[in-house]
Amino acid sequence: MVIEQEKMQRLATRMVEEEVKGRSPWADARKRFLRNKAAMAGLVILILVALFALFGDMLAVWSNEELDFSVMGQVATMGAPSLENGHYFGTDDLGRDLFSRTVQGTQISLMVGIVGAGIAVIVGTLYGATAGYVGGRTDQFMMRAVDILMSVPYMFVLILLLVMFGRSIAMLFLGIGLISWLEMSRIVRGQTLSLKNREFIEAARATGVSTWKIIIRHIVPNLLGVVAVYATLLVPLMILTESFISFLGLGVQEPLTSWGALISEGAGTMNYGTLWQLAFPLFFFVITLFGFFFVGDGLRDALDPKDR
Amino acid sequence: MFAYIMRRLAVAVPTLLLLIVISFVLMHLAPGGPFSQERELPARVLANLNAKYGLDEPLWRQIVNYVYSIVIHFDFGPSFVYPDRTVNELLADGFPVTLTYGSLAFLAAVLVGVGLGVVAAIRHNSWLDYLAVGISIGAQVLPNFVMAPILVLFFTLTWRILPGGGWSFSDPSFWIMPVIALATSYMASIARITRSSMLEVLGSNHIRTARAKGMPEHRVILRHALKPAMLPVISYLGPVFVSMITGSVVIDIYFSTGGIGKAFVESALNRDYAVMMGVTILIGALTILFNLVVDILYAWIDPKIRY
Amino acid sequence: MALLDINDLSVSFRTNDGVVQAVNNVSLSVDQGETLGVVGESGSGKSQLSFAIMGLLARNGQATGSVRFDGQEILNAPPKILNRIRAEKIAMIFQDPMTSLNPYMRVSDQMAEVLTLHKGMSRSKAVTESVRMLDAVKIPDAKGRVRLYPHEFSGGMRQRVMIAMALLCRPSLLIADEPTTALDVTVQAQIMTLLAELRREFGMAMILITHDLGVVAGSCERVAVMYGGRIRETGPVGPLFEAPAHPYTQGLLGAIPRIDQEGDELSAIPGSPPNMTRPPAGCAFEPRCPYRREDCACQRPMLDAFAPARARACFAPLDDVLQRRLPQAQTTMQGGQP
Repeated sequence: MVIEQEKMQRLATRMVEEEVKGRSPWADARKRFLRNKAAMAGLVILILVALFALFGDMLAVWSNEELDFSVMGQVATMGAPSLENGHYFGTDDLGRDLFSRTVQGTQISLMVGIVGAGIAVIVGTLYGATAGYVGGRTDQFMMRAVDILMSVPYMFVLILLLVMFGRSIAMLFLGIGLISWLEMSRIVRGQTLSLKNREFIEAARATGVSTWKIIIRHIVPNLLGVVAVYATLLVPLMILTESFISFLGLGVQEPLTSWGALISEGAGTMNYGTLWQLAFPLFFFVITLFGFFFVGDGLRDALDPKDR
Repeated sequence: MFAYIMRRLAVAVPTLLLLIVISFVLMHLAPGGPFSQERELPARVLANLNAKYGLDEPLWRQIVNYVYSIVIHFDFGPSFVYPDRTVNELLADGFPVTLTYGSLAFLAAVLVGVGLGVVAAIRHNSWLDYLAVGISIGAQVLPNFVMAPILVLFFTLTWRILPGGGWSFSDPSFWIMPVIALATSYMASIARITRSSMLEVLGSNHIRTARAKGMPEHRVILRHALKPAMLPVISYLGPVFVSMITGSVVIDIYFSTGGIGKAFVESALNRDYAVMMGVTILIGALTILFNLVVDILYAWIDPKIRY
Repeated sequence: MALLDINDLSVSFRTNDGVVQAVNNVSLSVDQGETLGVVGESGSGKSQLSFAIMGLLARNGQATGSVRFDGQEILNAPPKILNRIRAEKIAMIFQDPMTSLNPYMRVSDQMAEVLTLHKGMSRSKAVTESVRMLDAVKIPDAKGRVRLYPHEFSGGMRQRVMIAMALLCRPSLLIADEPTTALDVTVQAQIMTLLAELRREFGMAMILITHDLGVVAGSCERVAVMYGGRIRETGPVGPLFEAPAHPYTQGLLGAIPRIDQEGDELSAIPGSPPNMTRPPAGCAFEPRCPYRREDCACQRPMLDAFAPARARACFAPLDDVLQRRLPQAQTTMQGGQP
């Protein structure tokens, strides 16, 4: 999975062009987005997954922690998905209800994804906007730092951090968010550069508005299109990152769980004939990635249609 | 060209030094030293250990020593957990394995991805295009840690035609699943990028000129479209390289292939900082080197980039 | 027999917003050695007309009708036939020399491949010939610069390279699609002079596509004025400029500032070109036309000959247009319909 930087760049250019022409790029975007079948399907999927994460607990018969002693030791036969004993998705290897575990995993993975993407977007936007707006030496220094940071193998540093400072969820949020703002800051910087000399910014500067306020009040709102698309496409990347780390057993720790941890467990036990332990978490993981992916793509296509 | 390479190197070398220093400082900031375990070690033992590993010297001195031995002797020092083994030995064990299936996966991802993308673009809006788009969208949600169990489920548990794990340099049947698991999602991304950039190039003015010259379409594509269409792919190769090395950790764990990923995760679970840092720095160096190659390749294709 | 005979050519594009009719039922012909100007505002379909002739329409484009070159049908012809004619018989130069040359290839390679392809020349001979052609288009130090990349040339020089590349096989027809639009005014004149010289030297026919009537006046023998994908008026340059018989042609000419008529107001045509997704039932120029009548909105005027070699598509009486007599109802109509 990848965010195509070229396309983001083009979107950024287009958003500025439209601003300059005094048109709102959002005017037709909504209509185009609503017409995009894949994007709408993605949106429906995401809403359903979100509902599952929010209200799934209410449907669950078992909590995510209690062990069902009646299936213990014979999970392969007794722990299969069944409506009768309330294990809709079956049980895991220890006899815990997989339905409520999946609900919890969905909650945590979505949260990590959204918070991580949020951190990345905020840091990337502010960093890029500052570099672009201040310009000169500061800009050069800041962007050179980005160049250097880009060639750091992040996953390893992140794991190093998690190992050294403890595997807390907060650390995971922060670490995941902090590794993904670099590309974004570059695009935001470029767009800021082209916004910088527009009349309304110069007017604000002439009336003595502080640099910081200009960035927050005038530059950042104009970056909204790029930021929105970026954020939507970053969430699945963050989910992937979290799942990767959790799959290795270095991320979310028991009794908490996430899609990556559940997939890891399911993958570990599949040769005992308990395939549902892999299938259910994997299903939610895959459809959610698709959902974000389609919505993000659709949003970008809506804001930057190919045939103008 | 030479000056250009030198200038890129001038950025690359400090980057690497910075990476070494940062990981060293991080290690020192970590709560508890490398030898803080569940049961307290006697003070004398701890002091001895610290002296043995040079941890009693001032921090700047330790950094200088560490950087010096890595840069000059390529020596990452001893492991903190297995005192009889050096980090170098642990890396040397795993590296050839990682390199073998890693480079195969990289090649597979690039060749299949580019091929798929080019075919899709040329046959735009045909069933071939839809198939390629379908494959690349589908494969994007199949990262290595999803592909690995799915492959094992089919090839090992169901059809019993491939070994479910382990490694042998002489038997390629051990290589197949690691390569596919590692390559699939990047293959998809590369196909996607290739397709959209090829479509863009094929619609560009200079391709219209080439067609107006009366060239057969396949020559238009090979001579005029392929090179510019590859530029976005090339700039994506750096990230692919990093992600693939990262993904090799999953491969090493899931398929027990014994590459450096295994050393990394084991050391992470053992808090063996020396090995973790060794792996991180080695991979950082490879990444920087690879990015350098990519930059040169890019400059070679695009004449507008000034050397 | 005409060199190029276009009959009832239409071009349409499938887009997300529906089918766009870019060119409608255009018939034109070009004789050996003749220069035809095709004039119109941007979006009038004139560029798509030229792409259709060469078979260079975008993927979603569809052309119908007939284009005969030297008696051979070339519209929608298989690539094999088209490729033998392109560059060899009909060459084309494009609007934007910045992007129309391949930025990733040396000029020498881009030019030589035309000759190796069509004439079977060896590469070194093809390069020598390319240098000779670069000399012919007056590129200084052609021998030294042939190895450069396009971005190392200025805009005007790049267009000269384009022209040299187009002339390599000595084609009998050159289609020049807005060859000077992207260039500075001084460079424009140089390029037009060069084209005129080369045309005479090589005895080529030329179709010059432009929105600039000044360019046409200086270099063409015949003009076709296009609006909304249709030809509105055709005729020899002199008479057509002297006595434009179509309101649109008049409007175009009126929009040109003239030094000899000081004090005259520079008049622009009010309104904007039609939306070709939903072409009007009647004359596409009707909403902007000062001579419009009741039936203009619902009926489409056909191209009718009214003088030797001249034709126009308009319902307004010829004399009214030539004398610039606006219809009586004009004032009230304008008041009611801004």
